[in-house]
Amino acid sequence: MKCQECADKLDRFVDRELTNTEALEVQLHLEGCPDCMEHYEFQEHLKRLVKHSCDCDVAPVAFREKLRQILS
Amino acid sequence: MAEPAAETAFADEALTHLDTLYRGALRLTHDPDAAQDLVQEAYLRALRYQHSYQQGTNMKAWLFAIMRNLFWDRFKGARKEDVSLDDVGDFVLFEKLRDEGARPESDVLDKIAASEVVAAVDKLPPLHREVVLLVDVEGFSYKDAAQALGVPIGTVMSRLHRARQQLQKSLFEYAVESGIVRPGGPTQVSQA
Ligand SMILES: [Zn+2]
Ligand SMILES: [Zn+2]
Repeated sequence: MKCQECADKLDRFVDRELTNTEALEVQLHLEGCPDCMEHYEFQEHLKRLVKHSCDCDVAPVAFREKLRQILS
Repeated sequence: MAEPAAETAFADEALTHLDTLYRGALRLTHDPDAAQDLVQEAYLRALRYQHSYQQGTNMKAWLFAIMRNLFWDRFKGARKEDVSLDDVGDFVLFEKLRDEGARPESDVLDKIAASEVVAAVDKLPPLHREVVLLVDVEGFSYKDAAQALGVPIGTVMSRLHRARQQLQKSLFEYAVESGIVRPGGPTQVSQA
């Protein structure tokens, strides 16, 4: 696999959307290519950062209770 | 007519996805009160149309679809303002940072505050923002995101890619403004 192909598949690799075979090919390339590995780790970290920055908002308890009553 | 017990079971299961819906509504409306209104209406609608929910399919995606469709119905004008991200170009933060002589992960990502990331997400046009919310924040598969948004998987992928590039661009600008990255960096040609 060439670096360009690896870069093209990086989104889907990070999102766990590749087939097992494709993912294995990317994995093998990453293990032999420090540049792509660094890029991959960066993307993975960024995805985690986005998740943890946005997922701390939760529905207020009172709102949940209100909904529970409305819906039952 | 559904059995009351079945209806309660449906409501109970639907409420396990409340945080996802609330977060999505909050990031779409930028207003806690509007988010609660939107989510409440979405749940009432879901209960009314529960017969159209197919057992065994993704209830979270189904509920999110109801919520975001309500959002787009109410804020129809917003759709027109939804600027295209076509002009972002190919911005790759990782490469940009390396060009600036920074170590992208340890020098930069570790130093960006969560509030800045949220601000960058909020700045995305809504059609792109919702893809990031579903895939990155809520962990939806492309397939489930496509179902929730009513678009083909290819559209999910292209919106996601462009959204991430715009996001990285915003974060880079923040990193420069806040001095995390020194503009020009070591690669800058000295202005003699
Ligand atoms: Zn490579
Ligand atoms: Zn968190």
